Amino acid sequence: MSVAALGIDVGSTTCKAVAVDEKGRILARRVEAADPRIEKQSQRMLEELRVAAGAAVPVGATGYGRKRVAADHSLTEITCHARGAFALTNSPGVLVDIGGQDTKVIHIGGSGEVLDFSMNDKCAAGTGRFLETILGRLHVPLDEAAEYVARAARPVMVSSTCTVFAESEVISMVASGEPLEGIVKGLHMALASRVSSLIRNRSEGDVFMSGGVALNAAMVAALSEALEKNIRVLPDAQFVGALGAALSVR
Amino acid sequence: MMLRRLQYEMAGYAGPALLRFQEWQRLRSRKGKKSKSGAQASPFGPPLECVGKLKELMSLHYLQGRYADGAVPVAWVTSGFPIEILRPLGFHAVYPENHAAMCGVVRMVPKLSDAAEKEGYARDLCSYARSDLGCCILNTTPAGRLPKPDLLCCCTNICQTVLYWYKALAERFNVPLVLIDTPFVYGEAKPHHVAYVRSQLEELVKVAERVSGRRMDLDKLKDVVTRSKEGARLWGECLATAQAKPAPWTGIDGFFHMGPIVALRGSEECNAYYRMLRDELKDRLSRGIGGIVNEKHRLLWDNLPMWFAVRELSTLLAERGFNFACTSYTNAWAEAGIQIDPADPFGSGASSYMHIILNQDLGNRLGILTRLTRDYSCDGAVLHSDRSCKPYSVGQVDLKERLMKEMGIKVMMLESDHNDPRAWASEPGANRLTAFMESFA
Amino acid sequence: MTNSPGSISRGTYALRQKKEHDRRCLAVLPIYYPKELLTAFDILAVELWGPPGPPCGDGAGRLQSYVCSVVRNALAFLQSGQADAMDGALFPHTCDSLQGMATLVTDFGGWSKKSFVFQHPRGSDRESAKVCVEQELRSLAGELEAWTGKPLDLKRLQWALDLHREIDACRATLLDQRARCPLNDVELYELLRRGEWLWPEEHLEELRRAVQALASSPIQKGIPIMVTGYVPEPEGILAALGNAGAYVAGDDYAAVGRRVSRSAKHLKGDPWAELVERYGSVAPCPTRNAESGMRMQYLKSLCKSSGACGVLVHVQKFCEPELFDIPDIRKTFAAIGVPVLVVEGDLEQTLSGQTETRLEAFVEMLSTAGRPS
Repeated sequence: MSVAALGIDVGSTTCKAVAVDEKGRILARRVEAADPRIEKQSQRMLEELRVAAGAAVPVGATGYGRKRVAADHSLTEITCHARGAFALTNSPGVLVDIGGQDTKVIHIGGSGEVLDFSMNDKCAAGTGRFLETILGRLHVPLDEAAEYVARAARPVMVSSTCTVFAESEVISMVASGEPLEGIVKGLHMALASRVSSLIRNRSEGDVFMSGGVALNAAMVAALSEALEKNIRVLPDAQFVGALGAALSVR
Repeated sequence: MMLRRLQYEMAGYAGPALLRFQEWQRLRSRKGKKSKSGAQASPFGPPLECVGKLKELMSLHYLQGRYADGAVPVAWVTSGFPIEILRPLGFHAVYPENHAAMCGVVRMVPKLSDAAEKEGYARDLCSYARSDLGCCILNTTPAGRLPKPDLLCCCTNICQTVLYWYKALAERFNVPLVLIDTPFVYGEAKPHHVAYVRSQLEELVKVAERVSGRRMDLDKLKDVVTRSKEGARLWGECLATAQAKPAPWTGIDGFFHMGPIVALRGSEECNAYYRMLRDELKDRLSRGIGGIVNEKHRLLWDNLPMWFAVRELSTLLAERGFNFACTSYTNAWAEAGIQIDPADPFGSGASSYMHIILNQDLGNRLGILTRLTRDYSCDGAVLHSDRSCKPYSVGQVDLKERLMKEMGIKVMMLESDHNDPRAWASEPGANRLTAFMESFA
Repeated sequence: MTNSPGSISRGTYALRQKKEHDRRCLAVLPIYYPKELLTAFDILAVELWGPPGPPCGDGAGRLQSYVCSVVRNALAFLQSGQADAMDGALFPHTCDSLQGMATLVTDFGGWSKKSFVFQHPRGSDRESAKVCVEQELRSLAGELEAWTGKPLDLKRLQWALDLHREIDACRATLLDQRARCPLNDVELYELLRRGEWLWPEEHLEELRRAVQALASSPIQKGIPIMVTGYVPEPEGILAALGNAGAYVAGDDYAAVGRRVSRSAKHLKGDPWAELVERYGSVAPCPTRNAESGMRMQYLKSLCKSSGACGVLVHVQKFCEPELFDIPDIRKTFAAIGVPVLVVEGDLEQTLSGQTETRLEAFVEMLSTAGRPS
């Protein structure tokens, strides 16, 4: 079981790195909050994995900070997510990655190639930041969100399209006695609706999820409902991009 | 085809009775229910009695529309289009803008716009267009059923966007699009521009004759134009009643009662309705009945209304004694008919349709706003900064400053959209309006 | 606004032209206008496409943020006095926002010098529109005569027509034979965009040199793509495409390829007829035409002839004429299996990281297309 390649995904919220074997399986993984000093952080994280590898191995980089990494090859997170997802599923389909600051929808073909993609990176209301900000304001921990939603009798719909205005709207709702559980459910539905509008063609084919927000079961359920499809959360959801980057240099 | 035609005509005869019956049933079923507002008195004066007739008139128009395709030639037209030319040829006219406003009032627009956005239409585009295209994509309408067009008729006097919108419709329906392109009037209209519009009206006749299978009857055209001119004059009379204090109706009422002059212009039904409305308004004047109970301040509204929030806004204002005595939008339909001359429909029509408010320079627009402010004794104005209506919104920052300076009134800008509620932050927006009203104390 | 090898700004160049050649200068707003007529009157046209960056000066707040940056920036620019080297301004009636800007600066201040408008008809195929174009051209000529105090010399107009026809022929060659041109996109567009402000004779000289420098066979190695949109701003977009390994093989930018007149006819002895004919012989544009099928046909054939394997739609935010065509463009190219990327710009000074990523991802997608992973 020897390390064949390293992959690093330098995102704006978190930095993820993996070591893979010659079969493309993840042997080791690291994730940290992103440090603005990208060169230092990426070097250190890769070094830790390299030491475990015991030998020099090629490095693939992706993510918004990819050009600042001393890597053998860098590709956009779109291409890397597609490759990583295909390695995990061996199936064409649509990958939805809701990150902290952006959301990607990638249509993957039968050979793992990117057929089409769309990104929402201009507005926080379509990203994980939306939930993070408002739930934070409501003092609802992110990892308890799913429980709140499960307890909701009916969703309380949020109409504002802007995170800032949605926040004030939600505060008013709490003040006028709307149940917190219903509000939390409404927030998830609002995000799911925005994400589903990025998916242009609701083609036949599987839908997968990756990214930090995929670990929120309520979000998976809300998106599944919005798309009227079952969604498969990929294992190692946060590391799909780094995996793809490693596979690109293996 | 004959059966269809029969259905269309029957809808015209039986329609009113049917609608009255439906309304009576609806009222009966509500008799037992308590009023929502409970003991709180309404800030509004008694509702206009002729509203029932208005509903009937517009509902009938849409009801007939259900049976129109296959029975008579159907045209989808822009609000500023010279409809007079189509009427003698027997066209049933559908107004996508009027229909889109209806979608706005019943709050269907987010769903419709989502469908349009999914196809690739940007959310920044005109919300009327997004609503209409959304209806086409989803094959839905709050009006029962819209007849498919045989002809699309687009006049750019209100904006250039209608051309891009109607091109999309032409693709969808695979029918001819006829364009009346009206060059913008900077100062004085250039003679060759008026001649250009006139030629287009003549080209229009040829296309409309071909599609309808009829020949233009110039006598009938003269009649239609006469009625159109009279309709605009009657509408102007109705609006002018609000120059009195208190105004017998609200500016918001005006947005709804505008339906016939836009969608039924040139018909006798339209004129009969406005005579009825005028008489009721004059009666209210003689009895001192106001549109709102306690009129303290009178405002001017500029730009399109916010269809999804008309009630919300007018109530917010009425509760504090504020009424929109006039609007530049409703006023436009009274002014449009002034220049038209039944003896010279093509020449005067060309000029008339070029000189509507949105097709003329800002100096002219300021003149209209100052005149309205003066004639209707307004002490304030709200300029609706309509996000997806460029021709109406470009220049408002300057108009605000100049209106304040020239007329010494308070003016505020209100950021929103005519049909898309997602562009309206209702709490901050209502807060600003309230602060504005408090500044009058 | 500093596109030139000698880092000369448009304003400085214009002042020099006035001093050395006694030429009047007109600031011209986008898109279509009869440049030949201006040349015949010895007037230098200096086009105003922005400039890119945030609008600055007192005029910055006069237009709401939902009005496109082309207009907001231009208004602020004119009002700030940075165009004071110009003797006047010409506003073509391209869209609602430009139409509004023209009346705003003339009626409410911001531009105190002479203003001209040029209103081309929509739906140019109709007889009435053809007549109107000629009358509009004659009307503008009359106004220019009054302004310059000189009658229009028809021989001079013919000379200007010949000059601009040759310029367009060179531009067409450079764009059609892009693969043979040794310049990279940044260099090529810098050259082509100098036509927005150089005196035409000077521009023709450099175009001729570039045509002569074309290789005998294709030498561009990157992934060929077609771009349709308004203006190649920020320039960073071309650099990003180049860095990702692509080049613009087919150009339908309104500022560049779309307005190259391909009139071959040379109606001897009737410069007016030729002027009208030239005005109508450009590629379909949503700001001018009423038939959408025409534009899609044209884009498909441009894609084919350029060998492009992907289409980049580079629209400016809030630009209605361009935005309304996007669904049609998507459908058209989906039907023939050509990938489309839509990028919305805002006349920003530098390309955002997000846009760069999108462009790179698109090129990566095109380069691995068909290849198994």
